[in-house]
Amino acid sequence: MPVWQRIYEEVNDPNFVILCAAQDTGGEAVAGPIFDAANATYIQVVDPDHIISSAFNFVNVPSAAWVDEEGRIVRIDEGTYAKNHEIYKGDQTISFGTDVYSPALKDWIAKGKDSVHVQSAETVTSNIRQHTPDQLLADASFRLANLFRTHGYSEKAEHYWEKARSLNPDSVNFIRQNLTLTEEGSAGESFIKLRDGYITEGKDYYRPLDIES
Amino acid sequence: MSKAMMAYPDLRHPFEEKAIHPQGSATVLYQGRNVTLSEVGDGNSLLIRPDDLPGINGFVLKPQGACYADMCIPIGESLFVERNGKKWFDLTAFADLLGQPYVADINARVWSFAEIPSRRQDMMVDAMAPDFEVTDREGQVVRMADLKGKKALIVTWSSW
Repeated sequence: MPVWQRIYEEVNDPNFVILCAAQDTGGEAVAGPIFDAANATYIQVVDPDHIISSAFNFVNVPSAAWVDEEGRIVRIDEGTYAKNHEIYKGDQTISFGTDVYSPALKDWIAKGKDSVHVQSAETVTSNIRQHTPDQLLADASFRLANLFRTHGYSEKAEHYWEKARSLNPDSVNFIRQNLTLTEEGSAGESFIKLRDGYITEGKDYYRPLDIES
Repeated sequence: MSKAMMAYPDLRHPFEEKAIHPQGSATVLYQGRNVTLSEVGDGNSLLIRPDDLPGINGFVLKPQGACYADMCIPIGESLFVERNGKKWFDLTAFADLLGQPYVADINARVWSFAEIPSRRQDMMVDAMAPDFEVTDREGQVVRMADLKGKKALIVTWSSW
């Protein structure tokens, strides 16, 4: 989050806004302090029901859409890391993210439709993931589960979470949301197996970032 | 429930049980809205007072049909139900008409509706950003339409 804030301050353009939606199941108690630590001044949304992801058919975090002044999407659905990150696990260094996204974003903010990073409507629409009726129903089931959870009905919450996952098994959002509430957490063995499986099968964990370094 | 899920029951389910809505009411979830209806018709269909429709999904009942912005869906009398001396609007039948998926927990009197497919058509046809409605941390409702006139980066993240 500090990185998005830094970009927001560097750009300092009154005609540019960031809407940053945190999908944490723990809601404000978890996401709020992270926003606060970043001294965020952009639009901050705590979104445990994944309303934004559902609207844009995202399946994983971080994901983003660039929307121009007329409301048209000019890029969508890429692993949206503001910078390259490295984390250390034992003697291993795990690297993720990229340093090419932020310069591309700034280029678009400065040049608008003349930016080389703006994609045609045809490209954008082909990059939007189509959602089937089952996947739409999964979103509704997920929100119902969250309602039951926050009202203390654990069995009903589990039932509708499971329904959501079975209706949309490819939603990494649902899988990671679930894992984060398990003993191993969201970055444990199950997650690594999932991620490696996507790579092995050539599936899009994120849509490949189409920006040259 | 799997062993892994049970490992952290306090983390997974930390909330005390409490009523979702007052006795006799119903709850409708739709695109971030959580609407409590103080009065609904009996039965497995969601029968609402016609005046409650705009607060749920933005549609307004007019002579030409159920209308949202410049879109009007012709509706027949079959969507209206007379029961207990009152006239109700069958919201689940309307959803079926629109091809809008929903899931209901009848015992709890909660209905959760997915997005209306036709409201996503613009995104698929000419890349126009979908409308959405969320509440920011300051309590302000933010819609996609509010951002028009500016470039916007819409980004999701999580501490997962």
